[in-house]
Amino acid sequence: MLLTLDHVTVAFGGLVAVSDVSFSVSEHEVLGLVGPNGAGKTTLFNAISGLVRPSKGKMTFCGHDLTGIPIHKRARIGIGRAFQVPQPMHELTVRENLIVAQHFGTGHSNPGKIDEILDLTRLGHKANRDAASSLALTEQKALEVGKALATNPRMLMLDEVLAGLETNGKRAFMQTLDDARQRFGVALLMVEHDIETISNTCQRVLVLNFGKLIADGSPEEVFRNPEVIRSYTGGETA
Amino acid sequence: MFDLVAQSVFSGLLAGAYYALIALGLALVFGTMRIINLAHGELVLLAGYIAYTAESRFGLDPLAALPAAIIIVALTSVIIYLLLTRIRVDREINSLILTFGIAIMLTNGILMIWSADIRSTTSGWYLDSIIIGDTLFAMNTEILFAVIGVLVVGAVWWWLSKSWYGRALRAVSSNRDAAKLMGIDPRTTEILSFAVAGLLASIAGIALYSGKVIEPSLGHSLTIKAFIITVLAGLGSVPGVLIGAVLIGVAESLTATLWSSALQGLVSMLLFLIVLLVMPSGLFGRTRRRG
Amino acid sequence: MMKYLSLIIILAGAYLAVPLQFGGNDYVIGIVVSALTIAGIAVAWAMLGNLGGMISFGHSAFFGVGAYGSALLAMNAGLPVFPSILAGGVIAGVVSILTMPTLRLRGPYFALAMLAFAEIFRILAIEMRWLTNGSGGLLSIPRLPTVFGFDFGSRLGGYFVVLTLVLLTVFVYWLIRNRPEGLALRAMHDSEDATLVVGVNATRLKAAVLVVSAFLTGIMGAFNAHYINFLEPDYAFNGSWTTLAIVAAIFGGYKTLWGPVAGALIVYLVDQFVFKAIMPSGHQLILGGLLAAIVIFSPSGLLPWLASRFRKEAGDAAHP
Repeated sequence: MLLTLDHVTVAFGGLVAVSDVSFSVSEHEVLGLVGPNGAGKTTLFNAISGLVRPSKGKMTFCGHDLTGIPIHKRARIGIGRAFQVPQPMHELTVRENLIVAQHFGTGHSNPGKIDEILDLTRLGHKANRDAASSLALTEQKALEVGKALATNPRMLMLDEVLAGLETNGKRAFMQTLDDARQRFGVALLMVEHDIETISNTCQRVLVLNFGKLIADGSPEEVFRNPEVIRSYTGGETA
Repeated sequence: MFDLVAQSVFSGLLAGAYYALIALGLALVFGTMRIINLAHGELVLLAGYIAYTAESRFGLDPLAALPAAIIIVALTSVIIYLLLTRIRVDREINSLILTFGIAIMLTNGILMIWSADIRSTTSGWYLDSIIIGDTLFAMNTEILFAVIGVLVVGAVWWWLSKSWYGRALRAVSSNRDAAKLMGIDPRTTEILSFAVAGLLASIAGIALYSGKVIEPSLGHSLTIKAFIITVLAGLGSVPGVLIGAVLIGVAESLTATLWSSALQGLVSMLLFLIVLLVMPSGLFGRTRRRG
Repeated sequence: MMKYLSLIIILAGAYLAVPLQFGGNDYVIGIVVSALTIAGIAVAWAMLGNLGGMISFGHSAFFGVGAYGSALLAMNAGLPVFPSILAGGVIAGVVSILTMPTLRLRGPYFALAMLAFAEIFRILAIEMRWLTNGSGGLLSIPRLPTVFGFDFGSRLGGYFVVLTLVLLTVFVYWLIRNRPEGLALRAMHDSEDATLVVGVNATRLKAAVLVVSAFLTGIMGAFNAHYINFLEPDYAFNGSWTTLAIVAAIFGGYKTLWGPVAGALIVYLVDQFVFKAIMPSGHQLILGGLLAAIVIFSPSGLLPWLASRFRKEAGDAAHP
């Protein structure tokens, strides 16, 4: 197993954002995480990448207990994270963004792999441009994935990276992700709103509602599950 | 020995009330605008020199220079505010550097006008001493400005918590945009707080001149003292300023009595660092992050 | 190509033209040495400001510690002067570890906490008479030696030494800036989460920059001690070592490599040769005014402003 969550609860004061969630991710798997707004998806991501601390439960990654591992060390053990709102490192060029991610995420430098990532994310022509100011949204999102890949992850967490993209943009982006998976052998854990994309790409889907895990299975079974359908329609009308 | 310690604590208390006068203006601006005015000590010093001119040139009592000092110092303070509003980027750091530059200008301006000589009051009454309860000894000026210091702290505290302007000022400091929606013009209230800071600096300057010696390079250390007291007090606490100031006053005075007067500065710096690093919201302040 | 050419011209000017032109004039060379000393502190200060995002008001502490450390080693332990200058830097770097708790503090709190440290060191230098001789100061500190027949102890010799030290300081800064650590540090202020999730340990990097900055400042202090052969606490720990460096760095542009050097040379030389002649007392008034003006009109400093002007004109010329 790559990642295992065992009865994980995240609470802020009295508010329980993630409640008693257990699941695991295996090597090379493509796993979707869906659920209505406010279901706790981003909080769960933040718990795994270390931005928030779970109040209960246990998380292990490749045999490491994540509890005592500070956020900046999680990249080293193979957890890569792409944010929903792209966060390029300001004042640096695209290539420098990748160099920093690689140096600190892996502990050594490998210019060949940087070129490979630039090529894969189609950012080669902007490698020496300023990352914060000269990239279009699609490119910022590609850089977000590129930075995560540069840390040499075994699992890549993607938080709604498709949001805000046109249909063609989405298709191209999914292609990039697929290439990345083929070439670097990473597992993908993706939060996504678009059920069609999830159905087409993911082998397995998790559904969160009100912080609870209500379904875990193949896209076909999950999206036929009455509770899942209710949570979505309920979420829409409420 | 006991008498010595009692005298030392008493002098420290008096010094503390005077320190509160020096710190109050800086604490007010810092509390309402989150701006550290590094030229604050120079404003105090400027008022001191105005009192010197009033006394040496026109034969006036230092206290009689107060109106003139208030006009000049408050105006200078407001000009500092207007310059601060011109900062566009990195407000926190750039306001520090800008007021630092203004402090250098004021120090050198004072040096040019009044020369580097040390000045002090020639009016005997201020320096005359009185003896309280047979054992405690103080100068008239120390008693006078300790009383004024306590009264001024009380007045500022009342003004901030009870008056309409004080409320508007607090509204602006907690949420600028919401205050605007309520019809409060942030600029007006902020100009007012700088003007009041100038007024407070004027009173402190007169106290400084009538009880100590002044020289052009003094402003810097006054600013530091004011900042240390503000940190000790915690953001936004007016009574905290008085207590923090008294703490510094007593600690310095005891250090001088029991140890060595050269180590006075060391004690207040250490106190400052300890509070800064160990008690993130000061002794009496609202909770906030400095890390 | 242009860049290398201009660098070569500047180096040739610094090592050849200045000595040939002013070599015989100890007064001028003395002031240029002071300007370069401030330039060195300004570069070290700007390194902390730019890479660490930390504005320090207390660099005089490191300057003074480096000065006393080196002077005492040369006087009491008989260490040769050049190694003891290096040791002075190391001591300042080690001492900076004491100030590390302040790294947790934000902007103005950090600035003023460092100032408090500087004040504490100054008082300690006065009080630790057994080591520093207190306010009496240290006299006849060994001067820079004569090597291969060239007297580095002369004014001109001091000029060559300080010039080389400043260039080495800039070189160290340049090396760090372009390493992944330097890149991460530059990115850290605006993009904290982004740097964290790729594995950057911000605290450790900031601490490292503080040590390097203190080391380089200490080297300048150590040089200065052997150059003027005399130290006292109020001189070595004088706040104006920090003030002048800040004015220089902000004026030249503290986020650029050469800004602090250019700023120090312009500000100090103009101050000494022009302002001081016009108004013998209070001439630093103009420095304060410059600092205020630069913050208001061009917060990124003189060099970036000139560069943008130059680019604009080049652009206008290319597309009339």
